[in-house]
Amino acid sequence: MASLITCPHCGARPKEEFSVRGAAMPARPSPMAKDEAWHAYVYIRDNPKGRYQEYWHHAAGCRRWLVVDRDNLTHDVFGVTDAADFVQARGIE
Amino acid sequence: MSINLLHRHVLEDYISGFETDPNPNHVAVSRRPVIFSVLAHRGQETAVAEALGSAHGVVLRFCSPSEWLLVSRTAGPATVAGILSDIAGASFADQSDGRVLMTISGPSVRNILGKCVAVDLHPEVFAEDYSANMLFCHVAANVARSGPDTFEIIVPRSLAGSAFEELLEMGREHALTRGFSD
Amino acid sequence: MTSYRLASGGAANRGRSLTFTFDGRTYKGFEGDTLASALLANDQMLMARSFKYHRPRGVVTAGSAEPNALMTIGAGARSEPNARATVVELYDRLVAVSQNRWPSLKHDFGALNNVLSPFLGAGFYYKTFMWPALFWEKLYEPLIRRAAGLGKAVMQADPDRYEKSWTHCDLLVIGAGPAGLTAALAAGRAGARVILADEGFRLGGSMLSESAMVGGMPACDFATTTVEELATLPNVTLMPRTTVFGWYDDMVFGAVERVQKHVATPSPDLPMERLWRIVAKRAILAAGAEERPLVFGGNDRPGVMTAGAIRTYLNRYGVAVGGKVAVFTNGGSGYRTAADLVARGVDVTAIIDARPGSADPVPQGIRVIRGGSVTDTRGWHRIDGLIAERSGFEEVIACDALAMSGGWSPVVHLMCQRGAKPVWSDEKQAFMAPDLGGAFVAAGSAAGFDGLSDCLKDGAAKAHTVLESLGRRALPLALPRVEGEYDASFAPLWYVPGAKNKAFVDFQNDVHVGDLGLAQREGFRHIEHTKRYTTAGMATDQGKLGNINTVGIVAGMRGVSPAEIGTTTFRPFYTPVSFGALAGSARAEHAAPVRTSPLAGWARKNGAAFVEAGPWHRSAWFPREGEKTWRESVDREVLNVRANAGLCDVSTLGKIEIFGAGAAEFLDRIYCNGFLKLPVGKARYGLMLREDGIVFDDGTTSRLSENHYVMTTTTAYAAEVLSHMEFAAQTFWPELDVRFVSVTDQWAQMSLAGPKARIILGRVVQDDISDAAFPFLAAKEVTLRGGLRARLFRISFSGELAYELAVPAGFGEAVADAIMDAGHEDGICAYGVEALNVLRVEKGHVTHSELEGRTTADDVGLGRMMAMQKPDFIGKRLSTRFGLTAADRLQLVGLKPVEADKEIRAGAHLLKDQAKPSLANDQGFVSSACFSPTLGHFIALAMLKSGRERFGEKIIVWDGLRGTEVPAEVCPPVFVDPENTKLHL
Repeated sequence: MASLITCPHCGARPKEEFSVRGAAMPARPSPMAKDEAWHAYVYIRDNPKGRYQEYWHHAAGCRRWLVVDRDNLTHDVFGVTDAADFVQARGIE
Repeated sequence: MSINLLHRHVLEDYISGFETDPNPNHVAVSRRPVIFSVLAHRGQETAVAEALGSAHGVVLRFCSPSEWLLVSRTAGPATVAGILSDIAGASFADQSDGRVLMTISGPSVRNILGKCVAVDLHPEVFAEDYSANMLFCHVAANVARSGPDTFEIIVPRSLAGSAFEELLEMGREHALTRGFSD
Repeated sequence: MTSYRLASGGAANRGRSLTFTFDGRTYKGFEGDTLASALLANDQMLMARSFKYHRPRGVVTAGSAEPNALMTIGAGARSEPNARATVVELYDRLVAVSQNRWPSLKHDFGALNNVLSPFLGAGFYYKTFMWPALFWEKLYEPLIRRAAGLGKAVMQADPDRYEKSWTHCDLLVIGAGPAGLTAALAAGRAGARVILADEGFRLGGSMLSESAMVGGMPACDFATTTVEELATLPNVTLMPRTTVFGWYDDMVFGAVERVQKHVATPSPDLPMERLWRIVAKRAILAAGAEERPLVFGGNDRPGVMTAGAIRTYLNRYGVAVGGKVAVFTNGGSGYRTAADLVARGVDVTAIIDARPGSADPVPQGIRVIRGGSVTDTRGWHRIDGLIAERSGFEEVIACDALAMSGGWSPVVHLMCQRGAKPVWSDEKQAFMAPDLGGAFVAAGSAAGFDGLSDCLKDGAAKAHTVLESLGRRALPLALPRVEGEYDASFAPLWYVPGAKNKAFVDFQNDVHVGDLGLAQREGFRHIEHTKRYTTAGMATDQGKLGNINTVGIVAGMRGVSPAEIGTTTFRPFYTPVSFGALAGSARAEHAAPVRTSPLAGWARKNGAAFVEAGPWHRSAWFPREGEKTWRESVDREVLNVRANAGLCDVSTLGKIEIFGAGAAEFLDRIYCNGFLKLPVGKARYGLMLREDGIVFDDGTTSRLSENHYVMTTTTAYAAEVLSHMEFAAQTFWPELDVRFVSVTDQWAQMSLAGPKARIILGRVVQDDISDAAFPFLAAKEVTLRGGLRARLFRISFSGELAYELAVPAGFGEAVADAIMDAGHEDGICAYGVEALNVLRVEKGHVTHSELEGRTTADDVGLGRMMAMQKPDFIGKRLSTRFGLTAADRLQLVGLKPVEADKEIRAGAHLLKDQAKPSLANDQGFVSSACFSPTLGHFIALAMLKSGRERFGEKIIVWDGLRGTEVPAEVCPPVFVDPENTKLHL
């Protein structure tokens, strides 16, 4: 029937406004990185039951890419951040 | 040889011939509003937003932290383009033909829009002059509150027919009428 | 006369009489009746036949849990099967028909099943109809379906409208009984946005059926007064006739409002039903409690009803269900029913109390058999007596109705729909609502409270707690004094021993205690297995009445606590929801939004046939008089484009405006070919890869000024490409200054192609468009004669001299008309996407038929576009993998039939000459095929193993679907003008 994602720019919105791209964790390797790194980036994803960070695109809203931190079992959402902020934070780590 | 080109509104067939005296609940479609997409470049978001906010004769519709729609019913496209050219850090594209602007008003407006959008339009939540992109009748649109019982909706031209038909259908129980505003 | 309308009393409006029919007979009822109460008032106790054994059944309850009294309501296209008579609001001229009987409800041939019932136990079908396997589908299943069943859906289209709506609130109160009313009142007075929803047509819940006095007035009047106050509060929304059927993620509730189900002549301007999605910050479940039937022999005889239902018919509707009512109880509810009946002058023959003793007040003069039980009932279409047993002695007690009460189960379904399990309480002998942490709480009898005053108090208290968690303060509610309430507590009694007849647990699916025992003996011991093996709880009522008894009985058989057995899974919907409501307005042509091209009007004027392409309706071909097939039109259009000129609508292509100092670099990384050196005023064909090295999409990008580009994408991938670019800009290269916006809707875009394109265009465009001034791949802003600014691109998909002209969408039709006028003398025609496809196949251009998610740039002959000297572009790294560069990959080739009159079809597979069709012999497949009017025979593009080394080879095009084998010659994929001389005219 429905579930809601709270976009940091637009507020609570139904899931129909979004499209999901999958795990947010892996960063795109540098062009010079090893084959293994590229292989892992393109093909290998954890598939955990529970808490998961995913890229969601607010396609019918602000059109920003977001990172939704949620539990894929209970659909508890722990936080939603703009993907640019997420990437920046990941870069600092 | 000069060619006389007639401009045609995409909702012409949905409105012409159906126009009546407006009921309390009414949707009015603007014939030729000026609508521009404005994009703020990296790091310029705040400056551009401020500059847009102080521009005269235009209203600002929020799309994202770096994107807005600039709407004018009075200024011409060249004037608006002129204003925008003067804003450092902004790029813009004319969307006047790519977007359809409709104004829906009346005592039942929130009941009608409840069937069109999922967003809470209660005035404490969605106050006057507030605007945002959202799904409206399954179409990505911009919805703004321009008065206590008045909302302005901007939809893509190619989907305007579908969205407009659905809006009229949802307005049936409230005797929603339709017309061009100018 | 056995059941009848009392001379006075009840909340039905006796001043307004309504006429209705049941099985063709005309009856009268009152406004405010349910169909069930009106039927009972007319002494119609027999209402249905059971699902499997076709046993006569009467009404058991007075609410939404009703398992028996299912009927078809309405006639013709408005027939609704399986409606529960207990919740159908009576309206004038209502038509009701009984179900699952032949030839009539009284004389049902299917009742033979009842005689055969010893052979029809649980699992009967699975065991009996095992072989021959073929017989299942052809013989057994149709037979079983005819014999067992419910009402039938009609085949006519539903004539009514349906709608969906969202609404939002601070507090959703589900159920408008005592707890719901005080909760809503407390929150409403505190100024919170409150929605009070109740499935009934009159708000008040159990208070409408109560004989107690509340605040000095009858409970029913108190409810009415409270509802009247709520109605005056602008922040409170009352939603009667609205079932909250589901609790979904993020505090979204699904509800269905029956807007016009109770209306004799529905208004066309109103929906029949409305589906609500209610977003609530907090919610209170005040859905009450369900009275459990007792499981004893013959407990399904018409006239056996829950004690509470009998009270409801008596007090709310002024209907006595019998003239001589017996009571079988294990708690206070039975005594209360007896007292209410006596007070209204109805004869109570005996109270049989399963408990050895109790403090419940006995109405004067009524016989009580303590420590007794009912072991069987008598009668066929209606109970006429029961066999009571105590200490081994039996006696027959005459009665025409039997009230049964097995205790109460809180209605906690909604709170268990998202994974939380109900919690067994030994004290309450019931499954209680789980603790969900405060956002969604139960109140009143749904929270296990028995008494009316406790429920009133609990509703207000829960509202206060919930408001506090929202940071709101509510003044304490002055609670009314309750007089004459009763003690509803009970002793557990899951199964009444000594049954001399079938003791039903699930009335609707005809599951009796014996079936549950069989399931345990045969190993289906887990409650979910027991359920599926016996079908207990699987009927349209989803076991609202029987499930808890099932759990209790299975626990008893296994000698464990019901806590150990647990319940089956709770899922939406709480009660059945019509498909109409779920579909809402999304049906027929409104199933999904349609995108209309700005040139649709032009295409219609020119007689176009349209084809759906995703959400778009595109002009496919333009039939002219005398053309009998689409092929004739397409052939003409293709030849005319090659000989003269044609105009085609390409507005559906995705168009993205790109800005920024980093735009050039960004495009260079997004496309596999180079874009850094694209000059201003030029267009370039670009190919995008996915990160795994496979082609993603293609299109052209033009540089309009130093930091300003416009990109076109394919129609199908417009949205995906924009999303992809936004993703890359935001997460891969946030340091690049680049911004985009879709301008697909802003521009009407048309392709003018053919040797006469320039002459024609020159009559419309002011600027110099000679080959020198506007060469192949030029892309500039131009001015049309008359002053309109437009964008002109000299690009070609057809292989002809061609231009794409983009004008503001509102002028599209006018400009297309002007071009058609300007080209009239030169033989211009309109052409559609079918001709466009033939033109591009002739020219060997690829589309998503070739770029289908498995092909590399090299596979489709575009390998040289990949600028491997660039430090990075999407797809670069993985494009060099061994698997993607293997020599035996499928490569794009052309095919022409050896015999010119043979047809090649897309999807056909390729075999070596003389080879048999097999997976091992598969050499590839045809990706695109068409008749080429230019060449006079079929041509095809195909993906063939090592194809580019095999030009000239004869292969077999094998079409397994149509059983054809066509010999064809492998050739280069460009059939027309391979030297590109036409492009540069």
